[in-house]
Amino acid sequence: MLLLKDIDEPGLNTLPVYEARGGYAALRKALEMTPADVLSELEASGLRGRGGAGFQMGKKVSFLPQGSMDKYLVCNADESEPGTFKDRELMQKNPHLLIEGIVIASYAAGADRSFIYIRGEYVLQADVLDAALAQAREAGYVGEQILGSDHSLSLVVHRGAGAYICGEETGLLDSLEGKRGNPRLKPPFPANQGLYQGPTLINNVETLSTVPAIMTMGAKQYAELGVQTSTGTKLVSISGHVQRPGNYEIELGIPAREIIYGLAGGPPVGSEIKCWFPGGSSAPVLTPDDLDVPYDFDSLAKAGSMLGSGAIIVVDDSTPIVELALKVAMFYRHESCGKCTPCREGTNWTVKMLQRIDSGEATPMDLDIMASVQDHIIGNCLCVLGDAMAMPIGSMIAKFRDEFEAHIEAARARAGLTLGSVPADEQALLAHGTS
Amino acid sequence: MPRPQTRTITLTIDGREVDAPENAMLVDAAKHGDVEIPVFCYEPKLGNPVGACRMCLVEIEGIGKLQTGCSTPVKDGMVVHTQTERVKEAQKSVVEFLLINHPLDCPVCDKGGECPLQDISFGWGGGISRFIEPKRHFVKPLELSPKIAIDRERCILCYRCVRFSQEISEDYQLVLLQRGAHSFVSTFDGHPYVAPFSGNIIELCPVGALTSRSYRFRARPWDIEDAGSVCTLCPAQCNVSLTVRDERVMRVLSREHSEVDDGWLCDRGRFAYPALAEGTGSNAGGDPTIEVREGNPAAGNGAVARGVRVGMRVSEPLLRDGGELRPVSWERALEEAAAGLKRAGAKTAALAGGGATNEEGFLLSRLMREALGSSDVDSRPGGALDLQLARELAAPSLQAKVSDLEFAHAVLVLDCEPIVDAPILDLRLRKGVRRHDMKLARASGDDLDALRDTARQLSQQGEELVILWGERFVAGRDGDERARALLDLAAELALGETDGAGLLEIPAASNGRGLRESGVLPNAGPGLSEPEAEGRDAPAIAAALAAGELSAVYLLEVDPLSASDPFAAGASADAGAGAAGNGTGAPAADSPWQDALERASTVVAHATLLSEGIAEHANVIFPAGSYAEKEGTVTHPDGRLQRVRQAVALAGSTRPGWQVIAELSQRLGVDLDVYNEKEASQQLFDAVSFYEGVTLEEIGGRGVRWQERVQAFATAGGGAGGTDSPAETPYSHGYTESAKADIQPTPSPAESEPNHQPYPSAQQHSGADTETHGADTDTEASDRDGPSSDPPGTEQRG
Amino acid sequence: MTPVPRLGDDARASGWDRSADPEKDPALIPDPATTDVPAQLRKAIEDAMARYPDSRSAAIPALHAAQELHGWCSPEAIEQVACVMQVTPAYLDSVASFYDMLENHPVGRHSVYVCTNISCSLRGADALLAAIGEAAADDADFNVRSFECLGACDIAPMASVDGVYVGPLSIDDVPQLLDDARSGRPVLPDKQLATRLVADPRANSQQFPPHAVEQGSSR
Ligand SMILES: Cc1cc2nc3c(=O)[nH]c(=O)nc-3n(C[C@H](O)[C@H](O)[C@H](O)COP(=O)(O)O)c2cc1C
Ligand code: SF4
Ligand code: FES
Repeated sequence: MLLLKDIDEPGLNTLPVYEARGGYAALRKALEMTPADVLSELEASGLRGRGGAGFQMGKKVSFLPQGSMDKYLVCNADESEPGTFKDRELMQKNPHLLIEGIVIASYAAGADRSFIYIRGEYVLQADVLDAALAQAREAGYVGEQILGSDHSLSLVVHRGAGAYICGEETGLLDSLEGKRGNPRLKPPFPANQGLYQGPTLINNVETLSTVPAIMTMGAKQYAELGVQTSTGTKLVSISGHVQRPGNYEIELGIPAREIIYGLAGGPPVGSEIKCWFPGGSSAPVLTPDDLDVPYDFDSLAKAGSMLGSGAIIVVDDSTPIVELALKVAMFYRHESCGKCTPCREGTNWTVKMLQRIDSGEATPMDLDIMASVQDHIIGNCLCVLGDAMAMPIGSMIAKFRDEFEAHIEAARARAGLTLGSVPADEQALLAHGTS
Repeated sequence: MPRPQTRTITLTIDGREVDAPENAMLVDAAKHGDVEIPVFCYEPKLGNPVGACRMCLVEIEGIGKLQTGCSTPVKDGMVVHTQTERVKEAQKSVVEFLLINHPLDCPVCDKGGECPLQDISFGWGGGISRFIEPKRHFVKPLELSPKIAIDRERCILCYRCVRFSQEISEDYQLVLLQRGAHSFVSTFDGHPYVAPFSGNIIELCPVGALTSRSYRFRARPWDIEDAGSVCTLCPAQCNVSLTVRDERVMRVLSREHSEVDDGWLCDRGRFAYPALAEGTGSNAGGDPTIEVREGNPAAGNGAVARGVRVGMRVSEPLLRDGGELRPVSWERALEEAAAGLKRAGAKTAALAGGGATNEEGFLLSRLMREALGSSDVDSRPGGALDLQLARELAAPSLQAKVSDLEFAHAVLVLDCEPIVDAPILDLRLRKGVRRHDMKLARASGDDLDALRDTARQLSQQGEELVILWGERFVAGRDGDERARALLDLAAELALGETDGAGLLEIPAASNGRGLRESGVLPNAGPGLSEPEAEGRDAPAIAAALAAGELSAVYLLEVDPLSASDPFAAGASADAGAGAAGNGTGAPAADSPWQDALERASTVVAHATLLSEGIAEHANVIFPAGSYAEKEGTVTHPDGRLQRVRQAVALAGSTRPGWQVIAELSQRLGVDLDVYNEKEASQQLFDAVSFYEGVTLEEIGGRGVRWQERVQAFATAGGGAGGTDSPAETPYSHGYTESAKADIQPTPSPAESEPNHQPYPSAQQHSGADTETHGADTDTEASDRDGPSSDPPGTEQRG
Repeated sequence: MTPVPRLGDDARASGWDRSADPEKDPALIPDPATTDVPAQLRKAIEDAMARYPDSRSAAIPALHAAQELHGWCSPEAIEQVACVMQVTPAYLDSVASFYDMLENHPVGRHSVYVCTNISCSLRGADALLAAIGEAAADDADFNVRSFECLGACDIAPMASVDGVYVGPLSIDDVPQLLDDARSGRPVLPDKQLATRLVADPRANSQQFPPHAVEQGSSR
């Protein structure tokens, strides 16, 4: 395939081996074309962003204003979506692929400064990137007048310090500017006003790492891979209750079952899949009924979930749904930046409600409240982190309501309460509180 | 920098067509249609919206998600719904979210009754909460600084206070720590939030999280009255609203005026007042830190009677008797003062400063000239400036406005320290640099060549250059030469002919400009007219007193021996050119005024607080009203006549300044013919050619720049600039300038009634677009409330 | 085990529960003349500042460097960074307290971040965290924390020990893990992520022989 080809070849992270495998030929090819032609290739490839939102990459590049202002390219290597570890693999084992992709994309975008914002936890990967970058600079692939062309690009590897929200593109920009990683109001979009107020192209590691392949094979051929609205190949990180967790490169559009069972070996023998997140923990959960959904952007959206970062987390039937929900909610509460109200308070409230459910202090009516709290979060926040909790939690309540209710019942019994033991008016009070 | 042009567009809100300025934020535009969209984090004064609280969600046709009205610029044809179920549900949910961690301790909260959270919960909330979990708890209340208390439980994390610290005052001391639901507002490692403008966060906070420690639990909204006035503690003359309870000023709030203070107030203006009113502070012109001083070593033991001490509020007449100051009756004090002045006759001099109003200054100079035959009156600490130069410097065409500081291409700060001399202007300059990319440079009058170079260089940024200069630039012996240089520079750079360019002077005294225009100058009469006789300027007065050529001096809100008084600094400016200005004066000990006051046989002072020099040297001290206690007008450095309004009764037995001066004059044989404040103002307006025709009603609560009045044009040629002065052309330019410079949407019929304040009659004749500030019609009936009531709908208060 | 600030319901950074000390001066930008900054730290910060068009971008790298030297983002460390960057300490404190990897309390030298997010916890991370926490409870040199997804779900359950990813871990690995870290040896060399091959059957087919696609489950 394209991205994981020769991925475990020893020394692939060094320039000589990378070059020996044809590395940087795509860059040479691109620099012989005009930026506009490179851009049309990217557009024609139909490549959609691999970071989560799935926005067409070429289109995004074309949004950048023309003209000779300072423009920036930022590679989003924050990779913090639970279940996702594909970018890690690429950066650690094939850093030059990413660098090459960045240089080509910057050429198309007219950017002359670029940054890789890598999460601080990825120490090894950042070190590898730094070393590769030094080699690339030395060889003239990065820096002034790259390969004798008039394109120049500086590239800095910037290490974060642990905050999921810095994966959100505008939070990332604030963080890269040395601030708290709070998302910004959009518009203005980064393409118009991003890093240091300048037009900025932000793309995920995998997106940018795909660019050399597009240049090499040509947009047309690339677009033949996958399905019509989801072209090309995709790295899938699969984890949780499967026999062979790891990164797999698939052609978009193959049935999810083929990934979960075929590639990853399915759940451990003796257990069944209870639910699965098709695109990281932010994606609404799907059930075994959905296993034949083609794994591509639009099919998953149609199934009520999303492809997201391409991280499948498989949960087997030994796991209580309440526990899963609590894990999810606690993650988002911990990562909410606190800037906007529904996300800050909604994640906090949801965790507290789930804890009450778990400790036997809840009634089924609390499920309605919890569901309505999720509804109040969705679409009302400054960025989609809030939605990223509310959608999976909402999907769990909707799809596993029986189990939630059974859990409540059992927990209440453990705590010495039964539903009947609470007088009706008090039940109402529990459910609605007082002002 | 071109100011934003506004085009009026039409959008539909809740089915009704509303005209609004294009690109106004939807929440503001909605007000034009009487629709209120609730907000918490939105505060345009703080810069671009941040869209954090999500309170303002509304539905816009054609956009799927609900949008934040605070950050959506309106476009022609936009269709907005604020009353649909979806919107109501979202708004209700935001209130619910905000309240889950809010303590709901309204009955004991200082904000109760004037709390946006309370109001919005009531108006848009669901009335019940479904949150039954334990709330987030913080210790409460804690000290954030000596002036501000913080109650973190009440905080709704709206970001206003930290944005103020970071983006307005740019002190970056107040920040959010931690993240998510655990975020809280704090300073670094237990340091207090002490900064020149810290108090503004109290007003910005939409809940009771930040409260004034001095105001805490002192009053509730239903106990208090608001009284609009003007703070006269420095030349910036910020518009304030005084919170009055039982005839006492409990707190000072900003009364937003975009052409004066932009809605901010410095900590001195906000917190110094109670100390000033009660006499626990130092001199009125004093430094921002208020300290209680028990007696003064300089005054020596026994120089003042028991109970009379330096720093105290003077609230009854004091008379020096056997070396000690003692309270006496008015009759006695007036008699003694009149006798002393009579003895000295034409050998009397007078200085005016501090918070003295135009009327007080005007009457004082009449007293001096008419009753005592002396022209030795001054309000310029650094000495007189040639009259012709003074007129040219005051020419309307050359006058920059406060807002020009923000929109100019460049500003040159010359011989002044805005943060000290007129703090609020410092914020305006920061705003210009931050938001409009204005270039800022400093220069000193010590090196005129360097000054010219800097100015020329700056003018490369664009033709709109403002020179913000301090009075001390023209103080001292070289004053005339420097003034000439400045005028030449202004001419060279065409500052007089360029909209948005010009000169703006920060006078040494709070009402320096007004006192000069009222005739408190040795070489000019009212309105910078040719005087009948020329007198001595301040430095010459000091010298003449010391030499025995003069024998009496009248100090109207001046103490030249108090370190914080501009006259103390002015004295040393004469000794060495370019010396420090306001507030940073040289020690009073080696001042020429030491000898002067020592030798003077009669020193009559009119003072609010008992300061060192007066305590030691005055023979008679009349209590003076603080700015909250008096009526009158003052003139802002940019020529805006503003009204000082009486909010509380005069302290103790204090009588109005005008009355005391008139009474003294009477006793000296001249009837000044004033029997109330209004007559005093009327006399002033009649006497100053370019104030002619102004009425107190026209000045109203928002003030009026005399340069922008039609009358200025009509009468300028005759009087203001003098005879055939070169000022005549600029004066006429001043009129045309005002007509084109102030871009304001022409009020549409819908706007001008019923929620738009009618323009005062003088303006109605001249066309609405010459007046930009919608001055209040200030009738007798609503005397006290008049100035404080903003034109509803047009101004937004935090 | 040091509780993660913010994660627990009642864990908060210092400062939230005390008044400002009115005796202190306001915390302004530190004066280089009176603030001692160790030379190597100064250099690290200045180098970082030089990499960006706006030197403020160096806030995180600079705080990392200061934490390395001081062990945590102590007020002193923050003041030193503030001095070199010429920003207020509050600004940096605000940044530092936002990020999980920057410590607001004194902590042990060796950091052990145990991922307790979904994939790891589905594979026993919570028990692992408890075991490591218990085993290191008496050793002040260790900073054992639960951490959100570290991006290594393929080796779940896993931990990052002084920045080195190891997994899949079992409770039996705990003594060795701590021992290796203590003595400065490479931690669990066989279990380091660096040595792991991609789980793509085409990429490392020896380890994971390809399976036929199973035909679903009964549900
Ligand atoms: C809360 C949140 C977290 C995100 N985290 C990441 C991330 O870790 N890596 C990433 O590439 N994109 C992440 N994204 C998506 C980015 O905002 C952005 O869409 C993406 O970087 C664009 O690149 P792409 O078009 O190449 O996918 C996140 C989005 C949100 C809302
Ligand atoms: S203290 Fe007040 S102004 Fe500051 S964030 Fe909290 S609610 Fe807003
Ligand atoms: S007022 Fe609009 S989001 Fe706060």
